[in-house]
Amino acid sequence: MTAVLEVRGAEKSFPGVKALDGVDFVLRAGEIHALLGENGAGKSTLIKILTGIHEPDRGEVRVFGQAVHFANARAAIEAGISAVHQERNLIPRMSVAENIMLENLPQRLGFVDYAEVNRQALLWLERLGLEVAPERAVRTLSVAQMQLVEIAKALVLEAKILLMDEPTASITPHETDVLFGLLRQLRDQGAAIVFVSHKLEEVFALCDTVTVLRDGRNACHAVPLAEIDRAAVVKFMIGREERVAKLGTKPFDATATALRLEDVATSFGHAGVSLELRRGEILGLYGLVGAGRSELAKALLGVGHVTGGRVEVAGKEASIPDVTTALHRYRIGYISEDRKAEGLILIHDVASNIGVTIWRRLAGMLGWLAEGRVRRAVAPLVDKLQVRTPSLRQRVGNLSGGNQQKVSVAKWLAAEVDILIVDEPTVGIDIKTKTDLHELIWQLAKDGKAILLISSDMPEMVALADRILVMGGFRVLGEVLNDHDYGRMSRAIMAHIHEAEAA
Amino acid sequence: MTDRLRALALADWFGLLVVVLVAGALLAFLQPAFLSTYNIYVLLLSFSLWVLVALAQMVIIAIGQMNLSVGAIGGLVAITFAGTMEVWGLPIPLAVLLGLVLAALCGLFNGVVTHVSGISAFIITLATLSIFKGINIGITEAQPFYAIPDAVKAFGAARLGGVPYMLVVPALAIVGVWLLFNRMVLGRQILAVGANRHAAELSGIRVGRVVVIAHVLSAVLAATAGMLAVARLQLGQPTIGDDWLILSFAAPVIGGAILAGGHVSVIGTCLGVVIVTLINNALVLLGIDPFFVQLLLGALILAAVMLNRWRERRREALA
Repeated sequence: MTAVLEVRGAEKSFPGVKALDGVDFVLRAGEIHALLGENGAGKSTLIKILTGIHEPDRGEVRVFGQAVHFANARAAIEAGISAVHQERNLIPRMSVAENIMLENLPQRLGFVDYAEVNRQALLWLERLGLEVAPERAVRTLSVAQMQLVEIAKALVLEAKILLMDEPTASITPHETDVLFGLLRQLRDQGAAIVFVSHKLEEVFALCDTVTVLRDGRNACHAVPLAEIDRAAVVKFMIGREERVAKLGTKPFDATATALRLEDVATSFGHAGVSLELRRGEILGLYGLVGAGRSELAKALLGVGHVTGGRVEVAGKEASIPDVTTALHRYRIGYISEDRKAEGLILIHDVASNIGVTIWRRLAGMLGWLAEGRVRRAVAPLVDKLQVRTPSLRQRVGNLSGGNQQKVSVAKWLAAEVDILIVDEPTVGIDIKTKTDLHELIWQLAKDGKAILLISSDMPEMVALADRILVMGGFRVLGEVLNDHDYGRMSRAIMAHIHEAEAA
Repeated sequence: MTDRLRALALADWFGLLVVVLVAGALLAFLQPAFLSTYNIYVLLLSFSLWVLVALAQMVIIAIGQMNLSVGAIGGLVAITFAGTMEVWGLPIPLAVLLGLVLAALCGLFNGVVTHVSGISAFIITLATLSIFKGINIGITEAQPFYAIPDAVKAFGAARLGGVPYMLVVPALAIVGVWLLFNRMVLGRQILAVGANRHAAELSGIRVGRVVVIAHVLSAVLAATAGMLAVARLQLGQPTIGDDWLILSFAAPVIGGAILAGGHVSVIGTCLGVVIVTLINNALVLLGIDPFFVQLLLGALILAAVMLNRWRERRREALA
């Protein structure tokens, strides 16, 4: 097999940080090559070099044997490298088809040929199993659908080299399966694919070879995955053995109901949703994209509204018109799945981000807010969650993803809520932080908080939840009592989903 | 690395201070009259008025919006203030109060319409700019009110050496706004809404209330500037506020404010006003064509925006 892409001794420094320090990377035709590493290991920088966003300070990049210097992203595309980036790169107001075809809009007589745009885009939507009309505006799609459009946009270029940075971060297992089938097909046709993911299950299911980076250097280089196991990969990534989350046992009082929904309907379109969440319990909400889990959380918080049925908080009927009331009167908190858009204020510092939920409580007369009081309230949480930040004044946007997520959890710990809705807490988070967060969520429940856990990460769900409600089509499809046996639980969950699909 | 970041954060206004000092020294060297008591008085007089205008806009920039109607509100309140004293014979404190209430109503209208309709404040205040100015012209028929009470005139002209009495008002406003943004829940909430509206809402902040209050505050600051202008000009001129728009954006932006919202600097904005004032003054002192003011101001805004962008890039690169 020939090397289609070769990086030798790549170095890249940013003020104060050496992001890459002599990295080698070789990609061959007809392979899916996993690029792994903890946050800050240099994966993103390497990807950015390969896509023409950064230029390496030293070292060389060869594409199809030719040394290349990409002046910009366009140059990389022209050299035959296509990429799915971690960040969204879609134009919300344009249609799905236009977004997919944007690099190369078909024209006729100098005008965009929309019939052709839609036709070609539809081809790729079908191959990805995404059932949306090509004419639909991207801004009306769900996060998962956008992710798939992003992938379609990269595939449509039919490049020989495909870089995929966390392409499955926000899509369902089913969509992931379809995507993987497609990637294998492309590989068998001779494409070379780089696959970056935090989900090692996926890496072992899909990839042929692995390169692991740690602290800007190669921890291993192009090792066939058939030759090593998960533990070895993790050791390459974190430099030592993986720590298993210590969860222990967590008895809870089955009579202390924190939240009860009875036949609830919402403005988002939920109908007949009933559930009961007790203090000290972790109730999982599992479902595919569009199942209405995050929407249910938002309706409860007062972002949308409850249009029918009964909501009870701590045994009393509750009506929640807005988030302020949810937080201050009913003590319900929500850790958003989308920490950049909804969870955090990236341009503000750590102290502000954590303190925002308690400013009102900390304030003195006339809304006076002493900086020291905020710092004293926030600092213990930063320690407790081991947020790695140089100071409380550091901008949250400058922290790593895992540390950002810890900050968005910390702000709800500060709020001292009784009911905590946790939406996809570990998407795009490195292994160590993920373990930390699992232990934390478990501990919170153990301390008596009622936790509603929304997650599409089945292993996470099986590890943490006491009971799992399966949702689909804005309804509750069924309930599974969790015995923490992964095989049995995942079958039981999927059975509920398939039952609903069959009906 | 943190030291560097801290230095960069400082640069928000530190660089401006250096510019001010260097420009001041240069002017003093080129034209000794620059340091004369009278010239200082003139400088502080313009500063007094403009800093209020700049703060009025800065509050709205903080929530990530724009208020094109600052000048129109200032003008409307100015003629109301002068008019009620002349025509109805209202006592001064009552006229001031009426002006502030009127401004609060204008701001309330801007804020409520913006929030409820969900249309950008740029469009809404473009419309209200025309509405408020229209009312102004309708009432005055473009004629000034001349009969300003002596006490107001005296306040507008009084000075202690190079320091106009008037400076007290903006000084209080500067301290107040600084405290608001640095030491009060409301100010922190305004910045949170400006930086990320969704996150702010999901954190339990009442976004609508914050947006409306910011607009009211902006209008009240603009009104204060309008009434000071009456005292300074010694007449209720309907054209007060007509030329505030560019300056109102220039000073906060030069001061390091992010137009998308969430970050403003009160000290930076004040220094921005000082810089603009110095440019104006320099052109007069050095006998340069005053039309250059416009040109220079535009160039300065461009330079400031570029500088902010560059600083932003460096911060990102450090991340």
